[in-house]
Amino acid sequence: MTRIDLVDVLRSTVSAMYGDLVTRRTGQAVRGGVEALLRANGEDDVAILDFGTVRLLDMSCADEIIGKLLLSQGPARHVMLVGVHAAHEDALLPVLERHRLAVAAQDRSGTLKILGILPESAHRIFQALADAGPADPGQVAERLSVSPEEVRTALDLLCKQGVVLERDGHYQALRCA
Amino acid sequence: MTRIVEVPTQFDDRTFDQFARAYSAEGSGRVLFDAHAAQWASPFGLLGLLTAGQSIVEQGGERPLLTLPTDRDVTHYWARAGFVRQAELYFEIHGKAPRSAGSGESNVLLEVTPVRGADDVHEVVHHIQERAAAILTHELGLDPAATMGFGMALSEACQNIVEHAGTGGWVAVQTYSWRRRLGRRVVVIAVCDAGVGFRRSLEATQAKRFGDRWSDAAALEAALIQGVSRFRDPGRGQGLAGIRRYLNRWTGKLAVRSGTARMAMIPPWDDDLPLAERLPPFPGTQVLMIVPAGTEQQ
Repeated sequence: MTRIDLVDVLRSTVSAMYGDLVTRRTGQAVRGGVEALLRANGEDDVAILDFGTVRLLDMSCADEIIGKLLLSQGPARHVMLVGVHAAHEDALLPVLERHRLAVAAQDRSGTLKILGILPESAHRIFQALADAGPADPGQVAERLSVSPEEVRTALDLLCKQGVVLERDGHYQALRCA
Repeated sequence: MTRIVEVPTQFDDRTFDQFARAYSAEGSGRVLFDAHAAQWASPFGLLGLLTAGQSIVEQGGERPLLTLPTDRDVTHYWARAGFVRQAELYFEIHGKAPRSAGSGESNVLLEVTPVRGADDVHEVVHHIQERAAAILTHELGLDPAATMGFGMALSEACQNIVEHAGTGGWVAVQTYSWRRRLGRRVVVIAVCDAGVGFRRSLEATQAKRFGDRWSDAAALEAALIQGVSRFRDPGRGQGLAGIRRYLNRWTGKLAVRSGTARMAMIPPWDDDLPLAERLPPFPGTQVLMIVPAGTEQQ
């Protein structure tokens, strides 16, 4: 698991004076910095991007950093956002919707959720895994009183979006260690 | 021979077309922008005046003349708003221009500030976060969440200049008390440039799709309503949509004028037209955003 503070990357790649993630040019530079750090930690399959000290995020920068990073990493690496607040979400949601992506995000109070376009059932199943820990599809179906088929379909989608991990038939929500 | 363009005595978005008509009128010779009778100008008016001067200079015309307001208080206010310093770059100024450093006015949240590159956008956003956030929240009663979105909207509007205009532009932010018009204070943001405008920016990728309908209005529709961009990157074209969402949430107003058309997103408290076509031509793009204080989230 590689944890990356986005303001540290901003200051090392663009300017030590900046604290806001704004503009496409800045987003491109920060994404380049993040990708370099991920390459350096090649064996980790989970990247945690820390927004905790990011003051402002605009949509252009969100598109360059998160949108393009998720598209380029694909299923090879799971990406999670932490320290996200409501104004960050305002910039992230349109980007994720535009690219039809989803990402696991933990806000500053520690609440875990998915950002992006996914069916309501996928959100509920993710939340069940986040709240109660790893489970197999049958256990999830029982917990939520839904059909195993619906659970399998949603889990497939969640795995494809990289927000749920599957190990030996058990599924768990992506989260910080 | 001098061609005179009168600056409206009350110069804001509502009198802008009067100014644009005078600016675009047939005529030759050096242009004199006559603001001697001006009593008041909004950020939108001040930036419109700068844009007119910039356009003439960048097209190789003779540096225009500008007569400052004879009312000393008005000229001082224009200086405090940062207008005079920027105007000196494009106009030969007549009238006593006060040497005013920075703004002591609490209603000037951001002086007239040039926007040429990404670094300028960072500076603008930094300034708003550092100096204006407290004013927006405590004095204007904007929700802190609205203040964060305000920075995002400002950033996206300024980036339109950097990404699309093909030249530099300006941004300015002020607050006003609109007692009669709205009964509340408002934050007014103007972002203007003398660049290529929406029609030329989108022509290569969109004109064919619109066919005979292609016009300044169609280009505004493509950008504001359909979220298209001149770039093929699917992530592009989200900035204006984001500004619209932000202003809609806080019952704000967005108006974008480009070429001969103007499109606006009208809140319930305003009586503007959603679309105006066949306006007097004016170079570049002019964006106006108004956020009322203390409104309920929709």
